[in-house]
Amino acid sequence: MSITRLRARASPAVAAGDTLRVVRVVLYTGKGGVGKTTTAAATAAHAAARGARALVLSADPAHSLGDVLGERLGPEPRRLAAALRGAPRGLSLHAAEIDARFAMERHWGAVRDWLVAVFRYQGIDETVAEELALLPGAEELAALLAVEEHARGGAFDVVVVDCAPTGSALRLLALPDLARGAFRVLLRVQQMLASVVTPLARSVLAAPLPDAAVFRDAEALIFRRLLRLRRLVSGAQTSVRLVVTPERMVIDEALRAHTDLALFDLRCDAVVMNRLLPEAAAHEPFFQDWSRVQAERVAEVEERFAPLPVLRAPLREDEVIGLARLAEHGAELFAGREPDALLAPPERLRFAKDAAGYRLELPLPHADPGAVEVAKREGALFVAAGGVRRSLPLPRPLARAALGSARLAEGLLVVRFVPEAGG
Amino acid sequence: MRVLLVTGKGGVGKTTHALAAALGAAAHGHRVFVLSADPAHSLGDSLGRSVGARATEIAPHVVAREVNAQEELDRSWSEIQRWLRALLRDGADDLVAEELLVFPGLEELMALRAVREVEATGEFDVCVVDCAPTGSTLRMLRFPDALRIFMQNFFELERRGARLLRPLVARTHAGRLLPREEFFDAVERLYGEVEDVRQILLDEARTTARLVLNPARVVVDETRRAYAYLCLYGVATDALIVNRVMPAEAGAGWFGKWAAKERAELEEIRASFALPLLQAPLRSHEVRGEAELRALAEAVYAGRDPAERFAEARPIRITRAAGRARIEIDLPGASKEEVEVTARGDELFVRVRDAARRIALPASLAGRSVRSARLEAGRLRIELGP
Repeated sequence: MSITRLRARASPAVAAGDTLRVVRVVLYTGKGGVGKTTTAAATAAHAAARGARALVLSADPAHSLGDVLGERLGPEPRRLAAALRGAPRGLSLHAAEIDARFAMERHWGAVRDWLVAVFRYQGIDETVAEELALLPGAEELAALLAVEEHARGGAFDVVVVDCAPTGSALRLLALPDLARGAFRVLLRVQQMLASVVTPLARSVLAAPLPDAAVFRDAEALIFRRLLRLRRLVSGAQTSVRLVVTPERMVIDEALRAHTDLALFDLRCDAVVMNRLLPEAAAHEPFFQDWSRVQAERVAEVEERFAPLPVLRAPLREDEVIGLARLAEHGAELFAGREPDALLAPPERLRFAKDAAGYRLELPLPHADPGAVEVAKREGALFVAAGGVRRSLPLPRPLARAALGSARLAEGLLVVRFVPEAGG
Repeated sequence: MRVLLVTGKGGVGKTTHALAAALGAAAHGHRVFVLSADPAHSLGDSLGRSVGARATEIAPHVVAREVNAQEELDRSWSEIQRWLRALLRDGADDLVAEELLVFPGLEELMALRAVREVEATGEFDVCVVDCAPTGSTLRMLRFPDALRIFMQNFFELERRGARLLRPLVARTHAGRLLPREEFFDAVERLYGEVEDVRQILLDEARTTARLVLNPARVVVDETRRAYAYLCLYGVATDALIVNRVMPAEAGAGWFGKWAAKERAELEEIRASFALPLLQAPLRSHEVRGEAELRALAEAVYAGRDPAERFAEARPIRITRAAGRARIEIDLPGASKEEVEVTARGDELFVRVRDAARRIALPASLAGRSVRSARLEAGRLRIELGP
C-alpha cells in the first residue's frame, strides 16, 4: 500500500516546486570555531533590520544557533520578536535548527515508503525514519531538502545557512551529485532483483517485491528532486562565504575549501575576516606579537582570495549573544554593503569560444599545477585537484570534440577542445 | 592499549591538545600513535610539517597519521570497490565511479577501523585520536549502531537474494552486476572490525574522551551537550581541558570585561561538570611546532602522565537485585522533557534531544518492559519490569 501512495504524494509537489521563484541563499562555512554561527545570525539580523524577510537556518548537526540567539529553536522556523533600533516596524526574522529526522519524515516520505518496500523491511515500522536517518548521506540530504523548502516557499527574501565546518559542508554541497550516482547503484541492484526473480523470490523471501513501475516512479522522483537540489546549490542566487580568523591553520583550511568549492561549481562571493584585534588592545604589551602576526595574515588573506571582498569584524570584549548585538555586529561587518547582495561577480566555470575553438575555464584558485589532472571521456570532462574529483558534463558541441590542451595559470584552469575532424 | 579521544566544538584547540597529550605521554615513556579522524586534517598544520595518510614518526616514540578514506578504500576494500565500480561503470564512467566511492560517513568509519589497526600492531601503548568537531564525532560513535541495524535487518536478505539469483543469471548482463560472495564476506569482515572497535571504545578502562573547550558561553553550552551524548553512547569522559584561559597580564587592559566574563564561565564549568579540569593559558601567538606543543603539555599536565585516567567513570551501568533490573545512564545537563525511553524487545531505545541510541540488553533482560524512568541530578534511572 505504501507503493501506491508514492505517486499520489510526490508528483504535484515536484511539479509546483519547479516553477517557483528561488530566493537568495547565503551559506557560511569555515574551519570550526571561527564564528560561522555568529556571522550567519548577524547577516540575517542585519538584513531583517534593512527590511528583508530573513530566515537563518542551522545545518550543523552540532547546532549552536539557538545559543547565539539566546532562544530555544526547533526544526520549524520561529519568528524572533524584537525591536531593533532603526529597523522598520514589523521586522521579519525567523530562525530554525534543521533536524535530520524531522526533515526526513517530512520531505522524504514518499521515498521512505519506497525504500521500505524495496528493502522488504518488515515489522517495527515507526522506527524506519530513524534508521534511514542513519544511512550515509541522509543527514546532508535532509538538511538540503529543508533549505530548499524555505528557499522556494516564497515566505522569505533571503535564507542564510549556518553550515557545518568545511569538510562536512563540502560533502553537503556535493551531495546532490554524489547521491544521483549512489541511487543509481541502489536502483540497479534492486531493480535487477525485482525484475529477474520477482515470481520466484516472492515465495522464497516471503516478502513483497515491488514491480517495475514502482522503480520507474521512484527513479523519476529521486532524480528530479536531486536535480532541483543541484540547481539550488549552484544557482545564480546562491553563494558561499568563507569565514576565517587571522590564524595560519584557519586560513590554510579556507584556501583548500575555496578550491574545492570551485571544483564543485559553487559560487563564493566573500571572505569574512573575524576576530581582528582592535586598535585599542593592539598596543598592550601582551598583544604586540599577536598584532604583528595579524597584520601579516590580513595582508595574505586580501591577496590570496582576491578578487573576493574581505569583510572585517573585530574581536569583541564580550561574546556576541542576542538579537540586538547580532544586528549591530552585522551592520559593522557589512559597513554599508547589502548583506543579501552578491558581493562579487561570478567567478566560476565558464564555456567560451574564440578563433581557436571552444575552451572551458574553471577557477581553481589555490590548486598546485602539478596536482591537477584533466581527462575527457564521452560526454564529460574529469578534473582532479588535490583529493577532490569532479566530472563536468559538457555541452553538446564539446562532448564530441577531442581534448586539446589544459593549462593552469593564475588560478584559472583553461581547457581547450579540438573539433572532431569533419564534425 | 590506552585510547584517548580528544574532541570538542570546532576551533577550541582539539588538534593542538591531541598532539600535546601525545608528546607528553611519550615523555613518560609510552609508545604513542596519533590518529587524525577529522576529514579536515590539521595535524600537519599544527606541527608545521606534513603528516599524511601513512604512519610517520613525528617525534621520538610518536607516530602519526591522517586517515584518508579514499586511500583506505584502495588499500583494504578492493572487493567492495570492485563491485561498486562494476555497477557504476555499467552506466557511467570510471572516474564517476571513483567520485562515488567516498560517501558521507565513510571517513568516520575508516577512522574507527584505524584505531583497531593500531591496536593490532601491538607496538603502541597509547593511541590519541584527534576527532572531528562534535557533530561528526557523534556520528562516528553512532556508526557501529547504524551498521548493526543494517546487518540485522537487510544483510542476510540481500545475501540470500544474491545466492538465489546467481545461478539463474550467471552468464547474463545482470549476472555481472550481482555482488559476488566475496563482496558479502568483505561487508561481514568490515562489520566484525567495527564491532571490535566498539568493544575498545566502550571499555572505560581503556578508552576515555577528553573534551576541549574555551571559557565562552556558546562553547560551554555545546560541550555540556556533547558530554551527555558521549555518556549516552557509552563513552567515558575523564577530563575537561579548558583552553585559552586569559592570563592576568592580558586581561588587565582592554580585555578587562572579557576576563571578568571568563572567570564567571570558569566558575560555571566547575559547578556544572563533575570532571577534573585541566587548563591551558591563552598565548600571545599560535601554538605551533613540536617545542611549543611540548611546553603546552607541560603547562596542562604539570608533570602528570597524560595517558593516566583522570577520573573513574562508567556512564552506563546495569545492576540486578532481587529479580529487579535497573539501568543507570549518566546524562549530565539533560532535562526531563528532552529524554525519551522505550524498551523494544532486546533493545532499550533512549533519545536525548536529537541524539538517539539503541542499547542492546543482555539476553536475560530481553523482552522486559520499562516500569519507570526517572531523571534526577543528571542521572537517568530506568527500572525494568519482570
